Amino acid sequence: MPISIHTKNLRKTYDYFKKEAGLTGSIKSLFWREKLYNEALKGISLEIEEGELVGFLGPNGAGKTTTLKILSGILYPSGGEASVLGHIPWKREPAYQKQFSIVMGQKNQLWWDLPAQESFTLNREIYEIEDKTYNYNLEELTELFDIKDLIDIPVRKLSMGQRMKCELAAALLHSPKVLFLDEPTIGLDIISQDKIINYIEEYNRLKKTTVLLTSHYMRDVERLCKRVIVINHGAIIYDGSVENLMTTYADHKIIRLRFSSEFTVNGLEKYGEVLERDRLSAVLKTSKSDIARTTSRILNDIPVEDLSVEDVDIEDVIKKIFTG
Amino acid sequence: MLRIITRYLRLYKAFLFQSLKEDMTYRSNFLTLVVMDIGLVSISVILFKVIYGHVNTIAGWTFHQSIILIGTVGIVREMAYLTFRRGFLELGNHIRTGTFDIFMVRPIASNLHLAMRHLSLSESLGEGITGIVLVVYGILHLNNWSWISFPLYILLLFNSLMVYYGFSLIINSIVFWVVRSQELNTIIYFFMETSRYPADIYRGIGKVIFTFIIPIGIIATVPASALTGRLGWDFAILSLIIGISFLGIGLFVWKMSIEHYSSASG
Amino acid sequence: MKKYITLFHINWQNSLQYRFSLFVYIGGYSLYIGVLLYLWSAIYSEGQSVGNYTLSQLTTYYILQLMINSIIFSYVSWDVIDNIKTGNFSNFLTKPLDYYMYWFTINISGKMLESIFIIITAGIISFFVSDYISFPEHLSTKLYFLAAVILGIILAFELDFCIGMITFWLTQVRTFKYMLQTMILFFAGAMLPLDLFPPVLTKAAEFLPFRYLVYFPISIYLGKIENPLPSFGILIVWILIFFILSRVLMSRGIKRYEAVGA
Repeated sequence: MPISIHTKNLRKTYDYFKKEAGLTGSIKSLFWREKLYNEALKGISLEIEEGELVGFLGPNGAGKTTTLKILSGILYPSGGEASVLGHIPWKREPAYQKQFSIVMGQKNQLWWDLPAQESFTLNREIYEIEDKTYNYNLEELTELFDIKDLIDIPVRKLSMGQRMKCELAAALLHSPKVLFLDEPTIGLDIISQDKIINYIEEYNRLKKTTVLLTSHYMRDVERLCKRVIVINHGAIIYDGSVENLMTTYADHKIIRLRFSSEFTVNGLEKYGEVLERDRLSAVLKTSKSDIARTTSRILNDIPVEDLSVEDVDIEDVIKKIFTG
Repeated sequence: MLRIITRYLRLYKAFLFQSLKEDMTYRSNFLTLVVMDIGLVSISVILFKVIYGHVNTIAGWTFHQSIILIGTVGIVREMAYLTFRRGFLELGNHIRTGTFDIFMVRPIASNLHLAMRHLSLSESLGEGITGIVLVVYGILHLNNWSWISFPLYILLLFNSLMVYYGFSLIINSIVFWVVRSQELNTIIYFFMETSRYPADIYRGIGKVIFTFIIPIGIIATVPASALTGRLGWDFAILSLIIGISFLGIGLFVWKMSIEHYSSASG
Repeated sequence: MKKYITLFHINWQNSLQYRFSLFVYIGGYSLYIGVLLYLWSAIYSEGQSVGNYTLSQLTTYYILQLMINSIIFSYVSWDVIDNIKTGNFSNFLTKPLDYYMYWFTINISGKMLESIFIIITAGIISFFVSDYISFPEHLSTKLYFLAAVILGIILAFELDFCIGMITFWLTQVRTFKYMLQTMILFFAGAMLPLDLFPPVLTKAAEFLPFRYLVYFPISIYLGKIENPLPSFGILIVWILIFFILSRVLMSRGIKRYEAVGA
């Protein structure tokens, strides 16, 4: 398959000013400030084929959004190369801009006081979409995302989940070949998150649009992407299949226990690594493969009032990859 | 070239209708703004009338000529709001919240996208309407009036808009370098407020500054001079040159500032 | 009391952060004064005069007016309106802080800084245009002027605070405020010296408190008021009246806020 997105050694360094605290600091800063540097990207190289649905995972501040901004032309890199669909993104050529779309989680692009339909019509003008294509896409998208009765309501009256669906639809009206999604599910409730993820998956399946999605929710990436790129401190530390990532690195689960009465007996170690412990509660880390057996053993042996099983924090997974 | 112009005219129409729809959703606000504007202009007129109660001319301008001047400022203001003014007012917010990035991602020039996204009819409509009324009133009281000055007036109005736009571009580009934007709006406000005074009051270095560098002398005085028969051909052409220059410099500074923003933003 | 001093401190620091503003400030001021000087010189150059003001008196009037705009007038009401409308006001209700004193302190600390900027600017500018402006002769004039400014700041704050309090009752308060402010500026003599108005308006202005914000201090400075003491008396009465009004509006407003919910 042809390559849609290609970067080589992409670097980005920001400079910023340090300010001293206090009144003297403020007066001093009127005349002179110390300049510091932050290497946000330390050399990112990746290749994404047409039609791939890739997840871009990493903790906050890892460099995901910076990468996306460079690929969409919002930022210039400090060094390295990148090309998307054969164009250099930061040249911001209209020919390129008409072929991609970016949706940013918390930033609305739809007009707030008007129904989404109006913003759609405006987008048609902006992207110079042919009537036939526009009508076809509009029908398909409103059907697919189930927003037919939402698009005539002023956007400010919609819930966050509904708004996101409309934002997505608006972004896809001009049939972009590449879709950048920056934290699309942030701030949404679990059900809406699921729905959005489903829609993205279906759309990618139907249209073979290349999708690059950033998130710090492991769930999104797990469900949606076959391939995941993990970035931390501005460098790629894993680029491969999700399966491999999960089995290799995220092989543990977290068990949270609350005891029904004060329980000071030692020996919880036999169920897993004890992360936290006090008289009324404990947090254990235990191997994923055994989880059913371990939990039933715990329930059997210990007076437990409440027990919950959680995914390992992505920070842990990443730490693991980094050290492992 | 022609294709580009038609495209942007179509875009303008689309955005304008969108803005009008949005304006209309707040109908009471619409009316209030118009009434308020009319009130403000009336105060300006009253002030001038009081001053003229004490003196006969201001730098050679009679009361009715000054009325035309005030009216012209109002018209140019409304033209500005129908094109770029509100966009610049929102620029600071866009940059602060990060939503400016959207303007860079679309296949439309960022300055035009910003301007069109925030077209506003109602914000200065009162001034625009009273502006026209005042100009007409002033004309009716002039002795030397010829029909030929009218098309020249219209042309010079658009020239003033160009000057205003170029100047606004330069000043507002600063927000890409220094995030604080409140003072910038004050500068622009000052710019329009002082445009009401006939430029003939400036002499020497003041004349140079207020014609070429901070062109408050051009905005209202030049078109009004055309109507009142005070404008020489040489100065008219000079004004057009100034207009085009400001536009050119403004676009250049804006482009440079966007590039800076693209490499520096976080 | 200490908490207000700390507040003063923090707000002060906040204002110092932007050196660009300083530059624009001084530049903008100078240009505006330049325009005014040209305007009035042009008017007077044709042998005309405006009322009983000499050229230097009139230009001084407008330059002072420009400075007073920043020193005396209060702008906290915008923040008060926002604060109440967004519901952030609720945070205040939970803290042991007097709302009125809070904004008074913020107002004063902001003005301290601006006053320094303005005095620096005034110093620089008067060096260049000393021919065009008049300076008061006697020490007593200068002292009275200072007193009038200080009292003016207090009165201006109270008026502004009262306007802010109206937010508890009125939804379209911003538009109302804008109209009210224009009227206040008009009758304060900010647009034109009050004694240049047609007699009807001049008379009306005498009964309103707004003249003490601009016209009164400047008239003292220009030496147009021989015995200002009676006027100071009236000014102090107005200050008391609006202080009481501020507190009353505040307590009523809070009750209403609590009843209606944020």
